[in-house]
This record gives sequence, structure tokens and C-alpha cells, in this order.
Amino acid sequence: MTLRPPAPRPEAEARRHAWAVALEHNGLPPFVTDRLAGAAAGQGAWVATATPAELLLMKTHGIRPVAAVSGTCWYAYGRSWTEGHAQGWHEALKRIGLEAVAAGANAVIDVRMRTLRHRIRASMDFTLVGTAVKVDGLPPSPHPVIATVPALELVRLLEADIVPVGIAVGARYEWLGSSWAGDRRWAGAAGWTDRAALIRTQRATNVFSGNQPLTDLMDFWNAIRRAAHADLRAAAASQGNGVLAHTQFGQLIRQERDKQPPAYLGRHIVIGTVVDAKPNAAVPHDIEQVVDMRDAVSPLRGGSVSRHAVYEGDAMDEEGAI
Amino acid sequence: MTDTGPVPEHALKRLAGLRRAGHPDGVFTSDFSVNEFLLVRKAGFEPIGLCVGSCIYHLGFQFAGWSSSVELDVLSTAMYEARALAMERMRQEAKEMGADGIVGVRLTVKRLEWDSKILEFVAIGTGIVHAQGHQGFKGPRGEPFTSALSGQDFWTLLQAGHRPLEMVMGSCVFHVARRGMIATLGSVGQNVELTNFSVALYEAREIAMERMQLEATQAGAEGVVGADLHEGSHGWSTHVIEFFAIGAAVLRIEGHTPEDLPDPKLVLSVNS
Repeated sequence: MTLRPPAPRPEAEARRHAWAVALEHNGLPPFVTDRLAGAAAGQGAWVATATPAELLLMKTHGIRPVAAVSGTCWYAYGRSWTEGHAQGWHEALKRIGLEAVAAGANAVIDVRMRTLRHRIRASMDFTLVGTAVKVDGLPPSPHPVIATVPALELVRLLEADIVPVGIAVGARYEWLGSSWAGDRRWAGAAGWTDRAALIRTQRATNVFSGNQPLTDLMDFWNAIRRAAHADLRAAAASQGNGVLAHTQFGQLIRQERDKQPPAYLGRHIVIGTVVDAKPNAAVPHDIEQVVDMRDAVSPLRGGSVSRHAVYEGDAMDEEGAI
Repeated sequence: MTDTGPVPEHALKRLAGLRRAGHPDGVFTSDFSVNEFLLVRKAGFEPIGLCVGSCIYHLGFQFAGWSSSVELDVLSTAMYEARALAMERMRQEAKEMGADGIVGVRLTVKRLEWDSKILEFVAIGTGIVHAQGHQGFKGPRGEPFTSALSGQDFWTLLQAGHRPLEMVMGSCVFHVARRGMIATLGSVGQNVELTNFSVALYEAREIAMERMQLEATQAGAEGVVGADLHEGSHGWSTHVIEFFAIGAAVLRIEGHTPEDLPDPKLVLSVNS
């Protein structure tokens, strides 16, 4: 008897084809649209990532869970790892938005950023999962908001007239002295050539040199960071007027070169939750100070779970306490 | 709550997709959590932007004798100066955006894998300004104040009648002497205190604390809250330790009387 891979079932083949067509046309396959439309019409069970406490709060505020929705984009980096991240997340955001519209939702809440920790060449999957919700008495939104906060926080924000509306990404990289001319965007920006800066840096980092800040490297690194933050602001400006809960990832890499001072690559990614807040609005609730009599736990100290764990591991690498 | 329901009309419009206007001018950025954001607002402040300062620093070399317990002042100076530079850059960014001060400052040290003598110091915090109807305050010399307090701590500190002034710190890198051969042999199999180690740790910690306290006094602070002492070895040899003291220097808010202090309620929550 010979082992043979099972022949693909015809319906599986049809589904695969439907996905391919959908991705190509920026749409969804019909079976997904049907499921979500059914959920919107109240057929079948609703699905929510909310805890019972959150469900209670959602009910008192007229928020109804509809369906779990997601957006995935597996993206291979071509020329730029850094910009690939921004593009990958944008694509995933677009796709989760499509599913939310299909579910007739007003918002997707509890959106989490995920990735599989695989090492398949230069690529990464960018995934967003969340719960599509409807607000009682409102028509379905043509542009549902993508909120990275769970229901508990969503309600608190809405009461203070703040709407979490989406995710913004800022990503930049630069070379300080590169073998590849196409990457030389930094050279001369501050009135000096990168070669002079590289030689100064090389001199300052030899074994005999004493205490000193590496000014050229700092200026270079700061410029990248500022540019990434400017990107973040620009990306946020089209959706709201503020960004909360940043996550940052930065790397400065040295590249040794033959008969030349080493070159440096800096890359920086910032991701945050965009909010649409009325400026100077008052917080409607009174705050009462309580002392919890339980040991070890206090509601004031209870850390909320991080919403984006994607960069956590890398960001904390090599980083020491103070 | 209003009679239109718990969620304001303005927010509902956004959820219905009826209002989608971006705000091309004035986007604030901050790494606040939702709770921090709400409490900072409640305290009468608005975040305006994330302030970051970083300093990439090359550490000099210092030799310490095998059997001497001494402060490595080259490293102490380096560790202090690099942090101060990072903080200064952060404060400069805050000044440029017109902030009253910075809260939630996190100070980290990052080792760069390609050179053990280079450390990157990063200070990140959120610049805030006082909202209308609040008189606001600043740090020493009219510069933005800095503090490592979270949004929750910031609100509570103000309720307690104090305001943050400046982050203060002190650093001391110490070389702990190795014990001599004869002393080691003499104590084989016995329970003894390694006095020279005890003394070295005491001394190093004391120096770091003294430096922090001096800095607070010079800034004109009344006291320091949240003082903490970190021990760290940033990839150095085993007998070299850094003691780093950090805290938030605070000042009394004028006109705040003991009657203004809230009386906290005791609760026992059942959802543990």
C-alpha cells in the first residue's frame, strides 16, 4: 500500500479560490459575508470576547456583541523591514474593517494585535482580532471604529466623550553611511557628510577613549525617532485627535565594513490607539478614594493587560532596569 | 449622566459613522493607558505629546585593584551624566511643545549588542499642559517639571496637597574588593560575616542616596516620594555594581489645608 496525500475536497478547493478572489479584490468571500450578515440579523449565537462583568456594562450602555471579526495579512519584506511593518498593519486594519461592515457594526472592540512567532524568511503575519458590536438605536456605520480597548474601558471613555477610533503606525529607518547608495537619505541633512560623522564616532568608540556622549549617533537616532513620531501623528490626524497607549520598538545596528568606518542602521516603529476626544472636556464622574482591604491586590494598582504584545518581547530585549 | 443616555451625543455620532472629520491640527500623542488619561484630565491637565530623550554614551575605562573597595568615579560620572543628558533632551522636547511638565517618565538603560562599552539611555514621558480653569505649575527655574509618577499617582499626589517638581537621582558605581587568600582559607567551614562586602554595599548605597537627597535639596524640594534604589550590573565584571537612587521631588501646594484631604473609604472587594 502506498501513502498518498489525500485529494483536495472540491468544496475546500472552492473556498480557497473564493479567498484568493476576495483578497485580490479587497473584499470578503461570500461564505464570510453570509455568516456575518446572519450574525447581524440575529441568527445563531453571538460571539464576544467580553468577560461577564464587561457584558453587564455593555448591556447597561446599549452595546450588543455581534460577531468575532479578524483581519490578517502575511507580508514579506522587500527592501524595507521597517516600512513593511507599517504596510502590513494597514492591510490588516483594512480587512478587519471590511468584516465589521459586513456585520453591520458600529465598532470593533477589544482589538488585539497578534503575530505568530515564526521564522519564515523575511516575513511576518499581521493579525487583528476583535469583537464587532452594535450600539442600540444607531444605524450600521459605513466606517466602524476599530477600538483596541475592552468593553470596560470603552464605556468609561465614551462617558467622557472620548471615542477610541483606530490604530496608527509610524515607522522609519535610516542608514548612517551605507554601502547602498539608495539608502543614503540621511547624508548631509545636518550640514555634514555622514563620512565625517562616522569617523568621529569611530574615534570616540575606540578602547582608549574616555567617557563621552556619542553626539553624532544621538542626533542621527533622534532624527529617526522624531520622523517616526511625525508619521504616527500624520496617520492619527486622519482619524482622530490623539494617540494613547504607545508601544515602541527601536533598534540601532552596527554594520562592520572593510577598510571603512562601520555604518549604522537605525529603525523605529511606534504604534498607538487613536482617540477622538473633545478637547478640555470634563470627566463626568466623581472619583472616590478607596483602600482595598484585600492583601496584595488593589483596584488602583491592577495592571491592565497589554493590548499589543507583538513588539513586547523584542522591545524588552537587552533592556535593563534604570 | 444626562437624560439622553449615558453616552454623549457627540460620541454616538462618531459611532454611527456620521462624523468622520479628522483633526489635521493638534494631535496629541501619549503612552497613557485609558485610566491614566482620564485621571490626568480629572486633575485638570491635558496631554499634548510624548517627550523622548535618548543618550548614547561611550563609557571610559577605569582600573580597580583586586583587593580594594572603591567607588569607580569614572563610571559613576558616566552613568549619571548620560541619564542627565537623556532627561535634559526629554525636557527640551517638552519645552518646545510648551508643556507645563512631564509625567509617567520611564528611564531605561539598553545595552547595545555590538559594543559592551556603549549604553543607550532613554527617557520617555508624556508632556502635559493645564486645562482652562486651572492655574497650573512648573518645575524649578520655570522649566517643565518631570516625574516618574503614573497618571493615577499624579492625581493622588495633587489630592494629597503636593505637586511634583523634578525627578532626582544619584548614582554610585562601586568596586567590591575580593577577599584575600588567607582570609578565605581562615573562614572555611565557618559561619562568618563577610564584613568587607557588607561595608562596601553599605557605603555604595549610602553615597547614591546622599547624592539624590542633595539634588532634591538643591532643587528646593520639600521632600521626595517614591524613592527607590536599584542595583544593577550593566554587563560589567562580577565585582562591579551600580547603585542608583531615583525619586520624585515634591513641593507643597500653597493654600492646600489638611481639611482639603479626602478621607479614603475602606472597601473589601469580593471579586478576587
